[in-house]
Amino acid sequence: MRVVVNEFRAAIPLIWHGDPYLLQIIGFTLQVAAIATSIATVIGVPIGLALGLGRFRGRTVLRILANASLGLPPALVGAALYLLFSVPAPLGSLELLSTRKVVFIAQTILALPFTVALTAAAIEGLPEGLLVQARALGAGRLEVAVLAAREARVGMIVAIIAALGTSLSEVAAIAILGGNIYGYNQTLASATLFEVNRGAFPGALAIAIVLMAMIVVLMGSVALLQHRSGGLRLRFRTAT
Amino acid sequence: VSYLWHQLSSAVTLIVHGDPELKSLLSVTLRLAAVSTTAAVIIGLPIGAALGLGRFRGRRALQLLANVSLALPPVVVGVVLLIFILPQGPFGSLRIEFTIKAMYIAQTILALPYIVALTAAAIQGQAVGVTDQARALGATRIQLAALALREAKIGVLAAIIAAVGATVSEVGAVVIVGGNIQGQTESLASALLAEFTFSPNNPEETATALLLLAVVVVLLGTLTVLQQRTGQLRLRFRGT
Repeated sequence: MRVVVNEFRAAIPLIWHGDPYLLQIIGFTLQVAAIATSIATVIGVPIGLALGLGRFRGRTVLRILANASLGLPPALVGAALYLLFSVPAPLGSLELLSTRKVVFIAQTILALPFTVALTAAAIEGLPEGLLVQARALGAGRLEVAVLAAREARVGMIVAIIAALGTSLSEVAAIAILGGNIYGYNQTLASATLFEVNRGAFPGALAIAIVLMAMIVVLMGSVALLQHRSGGLRLRFRTAT
Repeated sequence: VSYLWHQLSSAVTLIVHGDPELKSLLSVTLRLAAVSTTAAVIIGLPIGAALGLGRFRGRRALQLLANVSLALPPVVVGVVLLIFILPQGPFGSLRIEFTIKAMYIAQTILALPYIVALTAAAIQGQAVGVTDQARALGATRIQLAALALREAKIGVLAAIIAAVGATVSEVGAVVIVGGNIQGQTESLASALLAEFTFSPNNPEETATALLLLAVVVVLLGTLTVLQQRTGQLRLRFRGT
C-alpha cells in the first residue's frame, strides 16, 4: 500500500505547483472539448430535432444508424479517418495527420452521435399530446421545433454533457490520428497513456487526477440538473 | 480512390486466409468481451437489483455513484489499477501485470457501472404494481429480485449490450495494464492504437479495422435482435 501512497504523494505537487507541461495539456484539452462539443452541438442538435420530430421516410433507419454509431469503437473511427487522410488517399492533400486540427475533427465526429441520438431520444420522450396540440393549433415546423427543444431542454443538455464527456476521456482516435505528440496535440487522456508508456507514473497519475476531477465536476452537474428538473433519469421504457 | 480499394481488397484477402496474427487479436478481443461481461453481470446484477428495488439508506447516493462511474475515463482506471498490480504494489504478488488477467479486471471494472446503473434504471422503470403486489403476497427478497429482473429483462439485455460494446471498443485501460504485447495482450482495438501504420505494403491494419467492425456489428447486432424479440423497447429520457 505504501507504494500506492508514495505515487500519489509524488503526483500531487505536480498539480499543486502547476507543472507547465500539465498546464499546456489542460489548456489543449479544454480547447478540444469546447470546439468539438460546440461543433457537434451546432450540427447535431438540428439533426436530432429533425429525427425526433420528423415524419419523413427513412426516419427509422436514420434513428437506428444514429443509435448504432454510439457504439462505434473510437479506434475504428480513428483508423477509418487515418485511411482517408493518409497521403495517397483522397483527402491526403489536406495534410491533416499529426496536427492539432485532426484532433478537433476526430473528437467532433465522435461527439456527434451523442448530440444527435440523445437529442432525438429526449424529443421522443416528450408527452405526445403536447406537439400534436401545437400542430393542431397551426404551429409551423420551426415553431414546433422551438417548442420541442424548449420542453426537452434538460435531455438536450444531458446530451451535450455526454458529448463533452467523451471528448475528455477518449484516447484511441486522437492517438491514432494525431500521433500523441508530446506537448503539442495531447489531451489529458492521451497524455496519461503517453506518461505510462514511458514509465513516468507520478506524471501519469497527476494528469489522471486532473482528468478525473473534470469528469466528476461534469457528471456532478448532470446529477444536479436532473435532480432540479424533478428527477429526470435515463430510463428504459417499453413502448406501448 | 484506387488506393482505398487496394487497401480494402488486400485486407479482405488477409482475413479470408486466416492470418495467424489476426486470429490472435480476435481471440483476445472475444475472450475479453466474454470474461469481463460475465464477471460484470455476476457482480453487477444483484447490486443493480438491490439499487432498483431496495429502500435502504444511501440508496440514492449509491445510484448516483453508479451513474457517475458510467463516465469513468478508461485511462484513469488503467493507471490506478496498474499501480496496484505492479510488483511493488499491494497486489504485486499476484504477478498479473501485463497479462490478459489484468485486462479482464480492468474491463470488468469499466463494464460494471453499465450493468449496475442500467439494471437499476430498468427495474425502476417497471410498473410499480408488479413488485408491490408480489411484496404484498409475501414474496421473499430473492423471489422479488428474480421477478423484477425477469420483468425488466429487456432493460437488463440493453445493459449487457452496452457492457459488451464497451469491452470491445475500449482501449485506454487495457493498453495500460496489458502492455499491448503482440500475440498475448493485444486486442483488435488496441492493435489499431499501437501500430497505425497504414501503407500499401501493410494491409494488416486495414484488416484489423475491418475485423473489429465485423465483431461489433455481429456481436451487438445479434444481441440487439435477441433483445427486440423479447419485446419492443426504446432508450428514452423520461421525466417522472
